[in-house]
Amino acid sequence: MVHFKVAEEQSIMEKLGILTDAAKYDVACTSSGVDRRGDGKGMGNTIAAGICHSFSSDGRCISLLKILFTNECIYDCKYCINRKSNDVPRASFTPDEVCTLTMEFYKRNYIEGLFLSSGILYHPDFTMELIYQTIYKLRNECHFQGYIHVKAIPGADPVLIQKTGFLADRMSVNLELPTAEGLSRLAPNKHRKNILAPMRQIQNGIKANKNEIVLYKSAPRFVAAGQSTQMIVGATPENDFQLMSVAESLYQKFELKRVFYSAFVNVNEDKELPALPGGPPLLREHRLYQADWLLRFYGFSAGELLSEERPNFNILLDPKADWALRHLELFPVEVNRADYRMLLRIPGIGVKSAQRIVRARRSGALRFEDLKKIGVVLKRALYFITCSGKMMYNTKIEEDYITRNLLNVKEKLPFDKDGVTYKQLSLFDDVNFQAPSDIVV
Amino acid sequence: MEEHYLICEDSPEGIFTGIYEAYAMQKPHDSIHIQIGEEENLRLFAVYRHIEPDKEKSLRVAETLERRLGPEAYVEICCALAAQDGGKGEAVYKTVVCGFKMRNGQQVMGNLGNPYVHKVFELARNVKNEAHHWKEFLRFQELEDGTLFSKIGPKNHIVTFLMPHFSDRLPLYNFMIYDENRKIFAVHPASGEWYLVSDAQVDMEKFGIYSENERKYQELFRYFCKKIAIKERKNLKLQRNMLPLWFQEYMVEFGE
Repeated sequence: MVHFKVAEEQSIMEKLGILTDAAKYDVACTSSGVDRRGDGKGMGNTIAAGICHSFSSDGRCISLLKILFTNECIYDCKYCINRKSNDVPRASFTPDEVCTLTMEFYKRNYIEGLFLSSGILYHPDFTMELIYQTIYKLRNECHFQGYIHVKAIPGADPVLIQKTGFLADRMSVNLELPTAEGLSRLAPNKHRKNILAPMRQIQNGIKANKNEIVLYKSAPRFVAAGQSTQMIVGATPENDFQLMSVAESLYQKFELKRVFYSAFVNVNEDKELPALPGGPPLLREHRLYQADWLLRFYGFSAGELLSEERPNFNILLDPKADWALRHLELFPVEVNRADYRMLLRIPGIGVKSAQRIVRARRSGALRFEDLKKIGVVLKRALYFITCSGKMMYNTKIEEDYITRNLLNVKEKLPFDKDGVTYKQLSLFDDVNFQAPSDIVV
Repeated sequence: MEEHYLICEDSPEGIFTGIYEAYAMQKPHDSIHIQIGEEENLRLFAVYRHIEPDKEKSLRVAETLERRLGPEAYVEICCALAAQDGGKGEAVYKTVVCGFKMRNGQQVMGNLGNPYVHKVFELARNVKNEAHHWKEFLRFQELEDGTLFSKIGPKNHIVTFLMPHFSDRLPLYNFMIYDENRKIFAVHPASGEWYLVSDAQVDMEKFGIYSENERKYQELFRYFCKKIAIKERKNLKLQRNMLPLWFQEYMVEFGE
């Protein structure tokens, strides 16, 4: 493959285009997890809830300036647009360019901070060193105090990762694929243990740092907003149960803040990759995020939602409703008495409404109209609750009956019902051309 | 029974003074109402009274509310008072009455069964949501002299909620947020304290003269927003849900 080097005379506009294009498949664009006020001598602060500054035409949030430092890469991962064997325009920023862009964008309130990832230039150490230098400059010369998320490059010197961690708010190492087999098939240059090693190092660093902070309040913070990772969904044959079990153990054993799921977008047409005539598996990705929420905030475990016998999520029902329908013996629940943990398990009641119910019922028994004001989605909850011993309507507690009624209430999905809003036509696809109305070329 | 209407100025000071006067009347609270601005439909058998905002009285009310209802409920009430809603004075007044009657006034905001408390809760939520949206979507443009200028058109009076946020972020910059619906400037001088200016006689045209670099960074950001989207996932409906159209006219990436 011919490898063009055009690095010299690219304008900043061209570089930004190439290196944004190359970074867009990374999903983590959150700026959450840490509250830090400015010290009055620089620019920026961070807000724990995170702030989205814009939304791109795919409906994803733009919170950080998400770019690669370079899209040159020595690896040849089959799913990646930047793999060595692809003939794509290549570019690299200089640390100064990244700093200027970040500062100028930030002061105009375009972004919350910087998300810096990179292809592997020459060697993992060399790349990690470049990333470190860039954010060192940003923190210490530009006095930038906003959010910084950087990638830890698997295989890089632990000392470099450690130094970088003291400057970044969040670090992430991408797991890429949920199982080691999948990884060795699609990313022959990457090894599971090289990915887990920096993850473990960052986890230990965060723990040690917490102890230091107890002792010395002004000790520098290490990866204060925690670490995250992402997995590609649908490039390899793993089922949802395997994915959720991996996510659960990442939360428990590696204490990750977030696991992100990325519906596989086929950019390379490789024989090892599945053809996805229906577009990226968006519905599956959506179900995984719903279940991920249940793990983190609703006290569910992966084994409750799925099992070896039922390894995939229901396409028609969200995981919580699906669980409730399989556990009708626990319902209906008396809203005025049930404990917080049980309230969270009722379809139609979220974290906020559960908290409001607990507060509001102190000043008197709640009625259905009060629940509505509180924000409970009664259309969904009414089959599972009683208020002062009465159900809202005369309903049967019966799986088929409730399922039918829940399906009548259209689920709000962030995309059209078939999970496809955009389809790329190819000569070799066997597409049914009868219903072209939702196909946009 | 005689109904009393207290007509107050639309400001926290005005409404707090109204609450002070309502208590001073020593009549049943059901018969007293707080109204903001001029009466529209005069009612028979109702007594109308204009209340002049009074700094001392309003401070005493503010202090009592914070002590008896707790700081959390007090913040909630202040947020509700920033709302653009004619009924906010009455809702806050009756919420205060409800809180003072409760054994533990600090739990007043949990009493969502009470329609007035519920209204305060809704107004406050609305104000907080809008303030948060502007923290996200407001854009600064760099003027010729380096000042950062932003024009916003908020529904509620939220500029005072934005200033602490941006002052902490940009302490070393001169910046200014202009609320075009209320014709209010919020001004932050570099390394100084922010303040509000209303009824200012200024030439708005000078806020359209940008620095040399401004256009370049606007173009870079527009290009960035275009490039970051994944075309296989294109979903304009979701984009509009997350970022309502009426904000877009204030955002550089949707211009031109």
